Amino acid sequence: MGSREFPGTLEAACDAELWVAGETGALGLAGDATFAINLCVEELFLNAVRHGHANRATISIWAEPDGPRLEFVDDGRPFDPTAAPVKRLHGPGADFEIGGFGAGLVQKFSRRMTYLRDDGVNRLVLEFDGGRAAPAGAAAAG
Amino acid sequence: MEMKVTETAEGVTHVALDGRFDIAGAQAVDGPFVELAEKANLLVIDLSKVNFLASLGVRTLMVTARTMIRRGGYIAVAGAEEGVEKVLRLTGFDELVGLYPDSGAAEHALLERAKEYANRKA
Repeated sequence: MGSREFPGTLEAACDAELWVAGETGALGLAGDATFAINLCVEELFLNAVRHGHANRATISIWAEPDGPRLEFVDDGRPFDPTAAPVKRLHGPGADFEIGGFGAGLVQKFSRRMTYLRDDGVNRLVLEFDGGRAAPAGAAAAG
Repeated sequence: MEMKVTETAEGVTHVALDGRFDIAGAQAVDGPFVELAEKANLLVIDLSKVNFLASLGVRTLMVTARTMIRRGGYIAVAGAEEGVEKVLRLTGFDELVGLYPDSGAAEHALLERAKEYANRKA
């Protein structure tokens, strides 16, 4: 399992994305799982820093037989993304509000979310579909 | 993220993005997109070389689209790969602007829409 703590800044969010890319690469995850994990980390980090005013966040990534897992722990304000509304635009037109899409994307890009407010921190575990990338030539070998 | 802007003889502005449309990527192109949204009339955004998109990038695209629509401009997105297209559809951006397989198809659609509008006005 890879795990690392980051300060609660937007600059650190960029560092976290780089670290996550390295971790998902080391696990050999398929492209769709890598995309989903990267997206969820960015959305959760942004939310924790901008809205939760978190001072630090700890990210852990590991693989289970049925798919990768991501744990995101932050010390920001209590926020349960599993209960957040899924926001999206409906139809054309120029009168719409922009923002608030992140929590919905996390819900849609993960298979399962488990949230716990525990000892002053938000603790969220995400489960993802998809495992490791198929090795080169695997299709031909089957 | 790299951003290349070109203009065709027909007055279509093409923006080709290359890289990750993440926090850093959105910060890099926000300013240029604000300028484009205020002056372009027909805008094609080519995402075929964008391998990642999150909500901050979607926000940049939505702000651009909203500004252009309010000015009476037209905007289309081309070449989004699977993950990027999924983000655009889940946020409803695809209901705001058209998604096309490539820049040529997007440009053709914009020119047709502009022509239809001109004919209705005439």
